Amino acid sequence: MIETYFGAEQLDSPHAMLAALVIGLAFGFVLERAGFGSSRKLAGIFYLKDMTVLKVMFTAVITAMLGLSYAFALGWVAPDQVYALPTVYPAQAIGGLLFGLGFVMSGWCPGTSAVGAASGKLDAGVFLLGAVIGAVGFNELFGVLRAIGLVPQADQGGVLGGTSEAQIAFGLPRTLFALLFTLMAVAAFHAAEWIERRMAASGSYPGGPVLKAVSIAMVVFAVVLFLLPESAPLADSAAGPDIANLLQTIEAAQDHIEPEELADRLMAGAQDVVVVDVRSPAEYAAFHIRGAIHVSLPDLPKALEPHKNRGTIVLYSNGMTHPAQARDLLALLGFHNVYLLTDGLAGFVERCLKPVSLRDEPLSEQQAVKVRAWRAFFLGGDPARPEVARKAAESSPTPQATARTGERLPALVDPSWLAARLNDPNVKIIDVRTQPRYSTSHIPNAICLSPESVRGPIGGVPSMLLPADLLARLLSNIGIRPTDAVVLVYGNDPENGELGNGLRDATLLGMALERLGHRDWAILDGGFWRWVSEGHPVTAALTKIEPSVYPVPPQPDDFTVDAQYVAARLEDRSALILDARPADYFRGEKSDEARPGHIPGALNRPFKADLGQGERFNPLDELEKAYQTLIPSKSNPVIVHCRTGHQASQTFFLLRRVLGYTQVKWYDGGWAEWAARFDLPAEK
Amino acid sequence: MNDTKNSGTTIDGGKPAAYWNPYAAGVLLGATLLASYLILGAGLGASAGPARIGAFLEYCVLPQHVAKSEYFGAWVGSAQGLLSYYLVFMFAGTFVGGLVSAVLARRIDPGVERGKTFGTAPRLTLALLGGVLVGFASRLANGCTSGQALSGGAMLLNGSLVFMVCVFVGGYAAAWFFRRQWHD
Repeated sequence: MIETYFGAEQLDSPHAMLAALVIGLAFGFVLERAGFGSSRKLAGIFYLKDMTVLKVMFTAVITAMLGLSYAFALGWVAPDQVYALPTVYPAQAIGGLLFGLGFVMSGWCPGTSAVGAASGKLDAGVFLLGAVIGAVGFNELFGVLRAIGLVPQADQGGVLGGTSEAQIAFGLPRTLFALLFTLMAVAAFHAAEWIERRMAASGSYPGGPVLKAVSIAMVVFAVVLFLLPESAPLADSAAGPDIANLLQTIEAAQDHIEPEELADRLMAGAQDVVVVDVRSPAEYAAFHIRGAIHVSLPDLPKALEPHKNRGTIVLYSNGMTHPAQARDLLALLGFHNVYLLTDGLAGFVERCLKPVSLRDEPLSEQQAVKVRAWRAFFLGGDPARPEVARKAAESSPTPQATARTGERLPALVDPSWLAARLNDPNVKIIDVRTQPRYSTSHIPNAICLSPESVRGPIGGVPSMLLPADLLARLLSNIGIRPTDAVVLVYGNDPENGELGNGLRDATLLGMALERLGHRDWAILDGGFWRWVSEGHPVTAALTKIEPSVYPVPPQPDDFTVDAQYVAARLEDRSALILDARPADYFRGEKSDEARPGHIPGALNRPFKADLGQGERFNPLDELEKAYQTLIPSKSNPVIVHCRTGHQASQTFFLLRRVLGYTQVKWYDGGWAEWAARFDLPAEK
Repeated sequence: MNDTKNSGTTIDGGKPAAYWNPYAAGVLLGATLLASYLILGAGLGASAGPARIGAFLEYCVLPQHVAKSEYFGAWVGSAQGLLSYYLVFMFAGTFVGGLVSAVLARRIDPGVERGKTFGTAPRLTLALLGGVLVGFASRLANGCTSGQALSGGAMLLNGSLVFMVCVFVGGYAAAWFFRRQWHD
């Protein structure tokens, strides 16, 4: 992929100026050699005496047009890396007419006059002087021109100015227009040769080998363009969905991939194949093709965006209908690399995985060996192919498999630990501070994510942690992969007495990760301000995000409990209930909820009691002692809660991750729900 | 290759080199344009050079007026200044590239190009007026034969193709009135 100066917004840089100068050198050299240092030769086209202008110009336009088409289609350069002049028909039409008049009057245009002046032509110099005056005149008349609607509103002025969108190819598919344009140019070349022979008896190269070669090459290149995938963004702006093309591929069954081919490619460890299971999560959990990821149909466009026109995307379900419809819709969105698995999962099982002994038709020895290999690979583990195994693990939904094998991060990491891993692509930093603080300054490559985005009203209870599918989409959007190690960064500006931006914002986001079975995460101990105070780098630049596909775990998490669960434990006293709210709320002296007070029998351990200076946990031995007096043993069942689950997430983190309590549950609904459920008991 | 249209002699008396085959020149010009797109991310441009120079000259005389003007004003505001614009550099490159080629081809030919029966003064007047029109029209259309016809045409931009057609319509419509300047 080429990144252009325009694409990198570096067109103002000295490097770009130098590049423009060099390109100008080539431009001027070629113009001179073509004969465009002569106004007589340039004007010749208007008197049908010398058609050089037409020949050179159209050859150049077609050459560059085909070159660009290939560069887009082959993915060398993205269309958004190239500046397209805006389309403003009246200005361009009237400008063209005036330009033509000035061109024939003077025999020059701006580029050629530079070359003419360099060749010593005084008339070229005078023309340039005129062009300077004309531009000044335009500036002076700009107000008038805008009043009569000839120039677009709020034009920025430069070539990189206008506001109207660029439109291309007059609504035709780009490939078709390119071919027609090419054929027209080739016809014009031959007409030009004929005219020159007739009018001036001097057709320089009638039927010459160069013309012949150029004509043939142009037409061939324009035709072959049809065989390449059309670059999606241009297709969108040009002609919308290319239905005819789509129907053609469907008719030719080019949108299918046979089970055997898929099996072979996956077994070979192909990294460019993305196999997508679009069945229900439960079906996926029960069985799926090794290496397949699960994506629900509505999520397909977003989830597959990173793979758009890169590699091969294979959709499968039990049958063919759903994937086929999905494939067609994706094609309309510009995906040209989506294939259906012929006969779906059923076909795959039947044709690849059915044991040799159960087959109706006898297989050749060669086929039998193949089937055994497929069965071994897709039904049993294959340690010989770690890369495929890893891929399968990445996409497997079970919490055990999503974690990086066994190496859960420590609960808290120091700034120096993170600083040493800033460039590790598998370490993702999530900044949970407020957006303005993030935008002002953050750790390089950190992603901004408000803890508020992981919770919302569920079942009438405000501020509940969102369901796993929504959380998975959220993580996909910010490019977190199941294999990433995630470090959460919180704010704790002691100077500003920042409230609501403390450690518990990080622990709440940690609950979201836990719900998804993401085990490999840690919190930056001391947060952002400790990072800064220890002199580590910060930036204000936006972080580039490549969206991922975060799988949805098939089972609910095992630590969130509801009011019913808590109420049941009240009866048999089988769990200890720990209320993390401030003491005055616990005692019912203050209340923001339906009833003041607390759950009967609950113990109070305010979350703030665990925190010391700068929103960091108190010394570990202090905390150990404090909780020992509250909870009989580390395996004693404990339910933590607060008002909405936010403060309790910090206690949960402390107990489970830092102090190593094993039976900790989290009552997310908290006092906000309990107090409003008048069927449930409360005490003060 | 022989070409009868080159001037017979040059300053140093040698014969100028022949012009390139127009189709070969076209392919090379197209390659230059493609390179511009792939490196700069923008096509070729020539008219912005003189326009920027015009803005610069006017700014030297009437800075307040230019800074407040709607069109040039946007250029004055840019951090880089009026002349530190990539197309100004490209224009300079075009001049130097043409100069190098003309010197190597022994095609430096000082004078006013015109038909033998047409006077120098009317020829220069037409060149000046044509230049004014072209300078104005290039700003209006946001480009000239380089930026619109060549570069925009290669991108298949509707507006550029319309511009290209209109240039030829305008040129052919008016050609008869200016034919005599080329009569020998």
